[in-house]
Amino acid sequence: MRVVIAEDAALLREGLIRLLEDRGHTVCAAVTDGGTLLAAVADHKPDVAVVDIRMPPTHTDEGIRAALTMRREFPGTGVLVFSQYIETSYSAQLLEGGAAGVGYLLKDRVANVAEFAAALERVAAGGTALDPEVVSQLFRASRRRGGIDSLTPRERQVLALMAEGRSNAGIAAELVVSGGAVEKHVASIFGKLGLPPDDSDNRRVLAVLRYLGG
Amino acid sequence: MTTFQRAGRDVLYNALGSLVGFFGFFVVVFTLVPGLALTVTVAATVVGLLLVTVSLRLAGLVAALHRRLLARMLGDVVPSPTPRQPGFGVLGRLDSRLRYRPGWRSVGFVLVKLPVAVLQAFTVASVICGLIDVSYPVSWLLFRQSPPGAHLGPLHTVGPLPLGMAVSSWPATLPATLIGAGYVLAGVWLARGMAMVDRRLIRGMLGPRKLDERVSELERTRALAVDDAAAALRRVERDLHDGAQMRLAALAMNLGMAQEKLDTVDDPSVRELIDAAHRNAVHALADLRDLARGIHPPALDNGLAVALESLAASSAIPATVSAHIPGSVAEGRPAPAIETIAYFCAAELIANATKHSYANQIKIEIYTERPGFLQLRICDDGIGGAEQARGSGLDGLAQRVSTVDGRIGISSPPGGPTVVTVELPLRASGEK
Repeated sequence: MRVVIAEDAALLREGLIRLLEDRGHTVCAAVTDGGTLLAAVADHKPDVAVVDIRMPPTHTDEGIRAALTMRREFPGTGVLVFSQYIETSYSAQLLEGGAAGVGYLLKDRVANVAEFAAALERVAAGGTALDPEVVSQLFRASRRRGGIDSLTPRERQVLALMAEGRSNAGIAAELVVSGGAVEKHVASIFGKLGLPPDDSDNRRVLAVLRYLGG
Repeated sequence: MTTFQRAGRDVLYNALGSLVGFFGFFVVVFTLVPGLALTVTVAATVVGLLLVTVSLRLAGLVAALHRRLLARMLGDVVPSPTPRQPGFGVLGRLDSRLRYRPGWRSVGFVLVKLPVAVLQAFTVASVICGLIDVSYPVSWLLFRQSPPGAHLGPLHTVGPLPLGMAVSSWPATLPATLIGAGYVLAGVWLARGMAMVDRRLIRGMLGPRKLDERVSELERTRALAVDDAAAALRRVERDLHDGAQMRLAALAMNLGMAQEKLDTVDDPSVRELIDAAHRNAVHALADLRDLARGIHPPALDNGLAVALESLAASSAIPATVSAHIPGSVAEGRPAPAIETIAYFCAAELIANATKHSYANQIKIEIYTERPGFLQLRICDDGIGGAEQARGSGLDGLAQRVSTVDGRIGISSPPGGPTVVTVELPLRASGEK
């Protein structure tokens, strides 16, 4: 996997490079602001870019703006945005053009190296990786429609993991159950929420997010 | 400045000052007297009051003219009095105009100014007449060279006082010159005195009162303090983000990487220690994030509306935001300190609703209905009965809002709904 990193804090930037290279990925470029990120992506055509949200010069939402530009101009490159905070408006903007090749994680998640790397690989492959915090906000926002109340607690867990972008196998590993059990839960959830059944992970995430986001 | 220039300046000041004084007196009296007269009749009270406000307004303009004259010519700057607080609605506006004390002080000044203006005019007349008298020897030589035999009447000295003399020969013009010089000197001396009187009068009646000055000074410094505090908190949050939070994230990442490599190490106690360190780093990161968010929510950097959206998204009770406020400071976006106060008010009110209201729905609205003010309204469809008791959350909110002269209104009848309205000036300094 070929990666471009945009992160202004040297410590984290170096850490990320090391983490990815340890796992056999190639870091084509590591930059410190949105403008050079776009140039690096145009140059290297990486599989995925890891983008910090708060970067120079304004330290507000440079990363989001760069990510949205990337989504428009380099649809083949996945974008994993990561930040100290989850802001709903950011996740809404990111997901506006679909959930394929998009990730939005808290910076905390790099602590779990294997999960972080797996999320990045998912995004690079055109999948989705949403932070559990993003998903819980979506859950809260969608609760008023009531559909979720009809789910069992286990089904709610599975729905949340689906919304994060995990595959059936990923969900089975996370919940320590068999693949067959997950498939049963998924079918039941889709039935209760009235969603069209779909085997493709990505279309499934999209359906779930549409449902949650209204 | 030479004595000569100074004398000229004083005389000119008196000349212009008396002109403005007479003009102002007539303008104000011709509006104020009919205004007051109409006010006491029953039929046309409203017209009368309106006329009185016009008169107050005119007096204010005349007063400003006097202040300007004083500043321009004598270099004595008297600051304008504290501006009027704009009223709410037609009646409120009328009321605030009629109650505006500096307006009535201006009217008082304009009335007192009449005798002063008369004396000022007198000094000017004295100087002018004196100059004419002084010029008699010259004008005699220029204009009295008539052919012998022609009979001309005597020249009379002019002056503001009835003590003149007739001049019928050139040598007799010399005493006239002396009288003229006397008038000029007296006029200049009087002009100096009248300028001083006028200056005192303007300072005393048209400037801000001592207490007013103190109040506006305190308002200014308080606004600075509020803005400073907001900026300091923002800086703290930024420092945390770029410093401790970043280092902790890197630490957690390094520990995570170490964990993976430990699979080859046999000693389970090392593994346990690293696991514990990793867990603690992750928890510290989450704690620090909550702390930083409480100090200054980073979403506020993108504007109040965006920050409130985020707040609504994390609310336990479903909440919607509707925002109708300008996005840029030039168009009237609230100052950062005000946005911060509004944000924390909304956070507190949503938390209150979550704890006590049993509501199913919260509506958050921000708008600028009244120019210069930001309104925040939070409605919930809960059980109502919220009140602003001492020491309650709402009381704390009212205190926070009062640091910028904001207002808070609560309507929460038993059975609901609860509507809390917070009104904040767009700037802490209160400058419109």
